[in-house]
Amino acid sequence: MKRGLLGKTGLAAATICFLLAGALLCLPESAVARVYIDINSPGLKRLPIAVVDFAGIAEGTALADIIRSDLDFTGLFVFINKNAFIEDATAPFNPDNWKPLGIDAVVKGTAEAEADGTLNVVVSAYDVVESSNILKKKYSSRRDLIRPLAHKIADDLYEALTGQKSCFGSRIVFIGQDGDRKSIYLMDYDGQRAKKIVSKGDVTMKPHWSPDGKKLFYSSLRNGRWGIYELDFDTVSEEKLFSSGATDLAGDVTQDGSYLLFSSSSKGSPNIYRLHLGTNVVTRLTHSDNIDVSPSASPDGKSIVYVADRSTVPQLYIMSIDGMDSRRLTFEGNYNTTPEWSRSGDLIVYSGREGGRFQVYTIKPDGTELKQLTDTGNNEEPSFSPDGRLITFTSDRDGVKGVYVMTVNGDGQKRISPRNIRAFGPSWSH
Amino acid sequence: MKHIVLMLMLLALVVSGCATTDVAVPDDKKGKDAGMKERNAKDDVIKIDRDKIREGALSEEQIRSQMASLFKDIHFDYNRHDVPENETANLRKIAEWLLKNSNVSVLIEGHCDERGSNEYNLALGDERAQSTKSYLVSLGVPASRLETISFGKEKQACMEHTEECWLKNRRAHFVSSK
Repeated sequence: MKRGLLGKTGLAAATICFLLAGALLCLPESAVARVYIDINSPGLKRLPIAVVDFAGIAEGTALADIIRSDLDFTGLFVFINKNAFIEDATAPFNPDNWKPLGIDAVVKGTAEAEADGTLNVVVSAYDVVESSNILKKKYSSRRDLIRPLAHKIADDLYEALTGQKSCFGSRIVFIGQDGDRKSIYLMDYDGQRAKKIVSKGDVTMKPHWSPDGKKLFYSSLRNGRWGIYELDFDTVSEEKLFSSGATDLAGDVTQDGSYLLFSSSSKGSPNIYRLHLGTNVVTRLTHSDNIDVSPSASPDGKSIVYVADRSTVPQLYIMSIDGMDSRRLTFEGNYNTTPEWSRSGDLIVYSGREGGRFQVYTIKPDGTELKQLTDTGNNEEPSFSPDGRLITFTSDRDGVKGVYVMTVNGDGQKRISPRNIRAFGPSWSH
Repeated sequence: MKHIVLMLMLLALVVSGCATTDVAVPDDKKGKDAGMKERNAKDDVIKIDRDKIREGALSEEQIRSQMASLFKDIHFDYNRHDVPENETANLRKIAEWLLKNSNVSVLIEGHCDERGSNEYNLALGDERAQSTKSYLVSLGVPASRLETISFGKEKQACMEHTEECWLKNRRAHFVSSK
């Protein structure tokens, strides 16, 4: 594939699965694997790809639609109208049917249903230029779960083509408001299947994920008292984790899952604390008489970025995980809040005020390469996708607050939360 | 529960007031100079206690209406949590009333305008409630009668997106916590 970029890294450790004699065999990929799109290349060229409607039962079309939508979401692929396709899913792959259309990669599949409602899907992806197989894999799922299944297929395709994990299987929680009540909602990363999951409490703040995606931590005001609550998805139960009687605000969980960072005003001014999630031991990290709030840990667990107003206005600071060696990170603007450290550690995203409005910015942890990503309406509360390529945030650009996504460069900004809910405070699963 | 506590407190005041009067009556019969001095002193005690009884006997309705007219919101400058100079007279009146009405406890709510992050505003609202409490404590109001809570920007008093509304929303608000 001349038009693709041959990556030097990425796929060496990956496997490719082949369906042989009905068994799913996963073979180690050869040492030098082809990467069709090098997503880290500055001169990235989008890959022309065709996802043919799957053959078999009616859901085949929906599966292909969702896969297309997922791949399109990344901004890394180019699609042409499927009416131009000459070859359908049942015909054998022939590169000559695709070359005239300028297509580099073709995805085909068949979907069959069993009597018990099991859906069996076989997916193949082909390299048009090399006339070779990129991926062939069999999937089984419940017939009513085609969205998660399609996301899984798209995830495998994405990994085969880029050498990276996608965020198609990830989820976003946010705060939704109908009337006065604020509830936690959960949705797929593309805004689909949004549902209310916690509606207790007068006010509930932005939730934070455990790194394994099994728990949420959030502050909620209940019976006139703030507390930090833990929701366990496995047991579908909620527990009060911490409540000092003052304002206790859950921050991020460290990447190893061992500490919940939070702020509390139990000793006077709001300061940063950490709570060991195994022992519930609480350690105070800052001892200031100003506001210290909104902590987020670096992925190596060594540092914390947080907001402090010691300069009289809120600015971002970085300190060690033990609360030592605090240094100021942001010097532009006079109101910078809600930082989140990317999972790869290279960037911090936050919301800052510029000309009376709030915009999303990224900055490197060393304070360089400050970038403004938004410029329409107020844009706040940014959160990275697990792969760090996308950012979800709150925007009021359409009049009512909603949850949006964009790439880490600020491209492709679009609303994903349902239009009938006032939505804010998004948090992307790890 | 808080209602019960308050009623017990009122009851205790009434009972102790009566007891003082009972003791004072036999003292009156002592007469003489020394007795006079003693009586005068006791009279003072009785007088103060009667004041207390009178105030303690304020109905909930009276407390509510007095508080409604006296406990005005304290307004703050943008992104500030120190009590502004022009609000100190207001707080002094509130402290005086609280010192007179020692059976009343107050919840101080800290609020912010709609701008900025929910989290930072909760911290800011917390500081506003705390600095209001500190000011009242500095005027002699026992800290134990002053609770605080922050609502950040979650409970706006004024819904428009104007400077006037923002000022109204940047407030410490008082609620009787009995």
